[in-house]
Amino acid sequence: MSELFVELFSEEIPAKLQINARNELKKNIKNFFIENQIKFNENFNVYSTPNRLVLYVDKIPNEIKLNSEEIRGPNVNAPEKALEGFIRSNNTRLEKIFKKSTEKGEFYFFKKESRKIKVSDLLEKNLSEILTKITWNKSMKWANYDLYWGRPLKSILAIFNKKPLNFVFNHINSSNKTFTDKSLEEGLKIFNDFNSYIKFFKQKGILIDQDLRKKIIQNKINEIIIKKNLKIEQNERLIDEIVNIVEKPAVIICDFDKKFLNVPSEILITTMQSHQKYLPTFDKKNNLTNNFFVVADIKDTKGFVKLGNERVIEARLSDAEFFWEKNKTQNLVKQVDKLKNINYFKGLGSYFDKIQRMRKLSSLISDDFLISKDKIEIASSICKVDLMSDLVGEFPELQGIVGGHFAKFQGFDKEVCLAVSEQYLPNGMESKLPKKMYSVALSLSDKLDSLVGFFGINLKPTSSKDPYAIRRMAISLVRLIVENEIKIKLKDLIVYNCSAYRDQGYDFDTKKIQNELSDFINERFKNYLKEKKIRQDIIESTTFLLGLDDLLKAYKKSLCLNKNIKKEIGFETIAVYKRSSNILNTEEKISIETLGFADPGLFKNDYEKKLYKKINDIRKYFLSIGKDENYEESLKILSSIKNEVNDFFDNVIVNDEDIIIKKNRLELLNMLCKTFDNYFNFSKIET
Amino acid sequence: MVYKIKKKTLSFQDTIFNLQKYWSKKGCVILQPYDLEVGAGTFHPATTLRSLGPKPWKTAYVQPSRRPTDGRYGDNPNRLQHYYQFQVLIKPSPKEIKKMYLNSLSSIGINHEEHDIRFVEDDWESPTLGAAGLGWEVWCDGMEVTQFTYFQQMAGVECKPVSVEITYGLERLCMFIQNKKSVFDLIWNDEGITYKDVFHKSEKEFSAYNFEYANTDNLFKIFEMLEEETKLLVEKKISLPAYDQCLKCSHVFNILDARGVISVAQRAEYIARIRELTKSIGKVWIESQS
Repeated sequence: MSELFVELFSEEIPAKLQINARNELKKNIKNFFIENQIKFNENFNVYSTPNRLVLYVDKIPNEIKLNSEEIRGPNVNAPEKALEGFIRSNNTRLEKIFKKSTEKGEFYFFKKESRKIKVSDLLEKNLSEILTKITWNKSMKWANYDLYWGRPLKSILAIFNKKPLNFVFNHINSSNKTFTDKSLEEGLKIFNDFNSYIKFFKQKGILIDQDLRKKIIQNKINEIIIKKNLKIEQNERLIDEIVNIVEKPAVIICDFDKKFLNVPSEILITTMQSHQKYLPTFDKKNNLTNNFFVVADIKDTKGFVKLGNERVIEARLSDAEFFWEKNKTQNLVKQVDKLKNINYFKGLGSYFDKIQRMRKLSSLISDDFLISKDKIEIASSICKVDLMSDLVGEFPELQGIVGGHFAKFQGFDKEVCLAVSEQYLPNGMESKLPKKMYSVALSLSDKLDSLVGFFGINLKPTSSKDPYAIRRMAISLVRLIVENEIKIKLKDLIVYNCSAYRDQGYDFDTKKIQNELSDFINERFKNYLKEKKIRQDIIESTTFLLGLDDLLKAYKKSLCLNKNIKKEIGFETIAVYKRSSNILNTEEKISIETLGFADPGLFKNDYEKKLYKKINDIRKYFLSIGKDENYEESLKILSSIKNEVNDFFDNVIVNDEDIIIKKNRLELLNMLCKTFDNYFNFSKIET
Repeated sequence: MVYKIKKKTLSFQDTIFNLQKYWSKKGCVILQPYDLEVGAGTFHPATTLRSLGPKPWKTAYVQPSRRPTDGRYGDNPNRLQHYYQFQVLIKPSPKEIKKMYLNSLSSIGINHEEHDIRFVEDDWESPTLGAAGLGWEVWCDGMEVTQFTYFQQMAGVECKPVSVEITYGLERLCMFIQNKKSVFDLIWNDEGITYKDVFHKSEKEFSAYNFEYANTDNLFKIFEMLEEETKLLVEKKISLPAYDQCLKCSHVFNILDARGVISVAQRAEYIARIRELTKSIGKVWIESQS
């Protein structure tokens, strides 16, 4: 048993590309072993540092045995040349060729003897191709070479069974050497196995294994925060990035001047996280503190690193503070007019145009939400002003949030400030969801106006492309409605928004937009239900019955049925329905026109009467509570008809000789199904 | 070691001298700044045009760079509308370029074994030049001090061979070396002259010009004239004078942008117009190279 050990040394590969390259290499090498039927330790790993991509697989046999096999050649009637070619290509002689009959006729055959192949030979032959198969999301060329790689590839070390593998990958010859100094690309050293390699670097404090680096960083941070009584936010993405931009992590705790804590914390956090890859800390009450973590790639023996980073954050925060002080006093209302100069989207006017439409839309929504029309109109008017501020110029990801802070500073109503701050939320499936009605109203009108606009100028996403993230917009809209349990007539809002566009001179086809957008949102809604692990047949039946105006109802019903379908109550309800509808379905072929109600005067026995009465009771129930609000309860009521239905079927023959009586009984069953259909389209449910 | 870390602070001008000497020893042609207003060292024809075509080329130079929108009337310790870049361009990119770069830092007193030098992903794109590259911004203890880029495309043309461009932000670098919080406190020479003495007045006045006084009606006209002139020169197949006119276009656009008279939609249009000019010039240049 042997080990395969490969190191690809390059200039610094960015974190995301590195992670991707690790996965690609792992996949490709695995496929190679499987395709060639070579046994290997399937729990192998690919490691990386910014400069080194390292593959290590052990428990590989040195040789593989290929079983003997009969290879079919040309048909015996084929021209002489074909046979000659067959002999040549198999590197054999005529004496070894024999004839054999098959279903398709008589053919020449050659028996290939079983033989052994060295795995090292196979690797040398295939490694170059395995590396070529790595796909990069972004790659580059350098110097005069034609190779594409994440960053310039400098050398390849390849070892199998402690011996070097020799192959050529583009302009690079593999060897058993690598640079031990990644900075100056010096210190060539021979390695013949993975363990001595790992050990060598470990002694220099360099950790090749990313998981180990992660653990060490996290442990060190935890140690410090416990001592200092601090907290950090769990930010996997940032941690994973940090882990992959260092090879010998050194956690350093730094601080900045406390005066900066007067600047809104989101600005400070963004500066630290996205610009500098620092980890901010919080106190036990979740307030941001002036301590932060730097993960350096060098031991800070002289204190330069800490000092330098503190100076950098100081300069950056001074900048942010300067803009904050300047922007916060700039009157939001007075700036609204300037939005005329800012294009919202080509073909959809300026931001000023957009907020006019949003104002109309949100004010209509406010009637449904029972919130103040004045307040939501104010929020709509000022919500985009922050786009013109220096701060959003510097921190585009803080649009809205910054506007909320300006509004707060300028004394706007609390709910207005929050609405401005949360106007872009939620942003997709995972993002935070606004809960306050003003926020929901503003976000809803922003998103709906965008959707209508994009559909109006025909920029609908295609199956493969969605450059304006319109899908995400729609799914966010669905979440706003469903998760906040809002009853709203979306169709009316779409029509109303179209008319707002038309008032501004846009030639929008309201009917077309309404149809297309409804379908689109419905599709998103189905996806949403799928994400919530609702059964596909339930999704189909709810969305079949309930349209865009009933998203909340559809959601709740789906949830209720999904929960109960395997339970007795769900099972029985469906059974009752299916039993009735099956008869109807077969009988319908004989074409009986149903009236929609049965005639009690034609009932021949108590079973019919009881069933009739029960159906009417249920109908009354649904009417009395203004349709079915309590879906669990409704389901219970529906299932309670079980006895009447079973008695009916056990004692009554629907197929009576008298066609009038038969028809009346079918009408009765039809009433039953219709009653059930009101609640749910059970016919689509699979049992 | 030739460049000993001296006890005394390395002045702004000494930093430049050291870098020039260092890259001169590496075989670079040491050029002087281009005599037109440009937004970055990359715009110097010794980079843009010379990075096109098959001929090898090595150069290093200081380039005063103007970014009118970054002016702060000399009030902000970190922002200037006029600043210096030290630019290195080598085609084809040499194998040992990282080592060369790290040693250049040693020549100005930054030892990579004592500082946290990081190559942080930063892909570069210049819409006006029709250019794109992959590389890093180099951080020194968290401070960005250099842009390090492998050109993949210039003037809309794929680079073959690929050049490497190293751009040092001289003020940033010196603030780091001299341990200053404000750019204006930088020591310019050994006589105690500061950056403020040399440039503060200029920052103040140019900010006023860029933001308040530039005559935008005229500038719009000038832009048109320059654009026309560029096109004419491209037709005459003289790429270098054509490129000069194009650079002037670019600067006029930058001032108009700073004056806030260009809307977002217009902005994209102007950038596209300049890019078209650059592309046509690049074509003429490449033809003249073969």
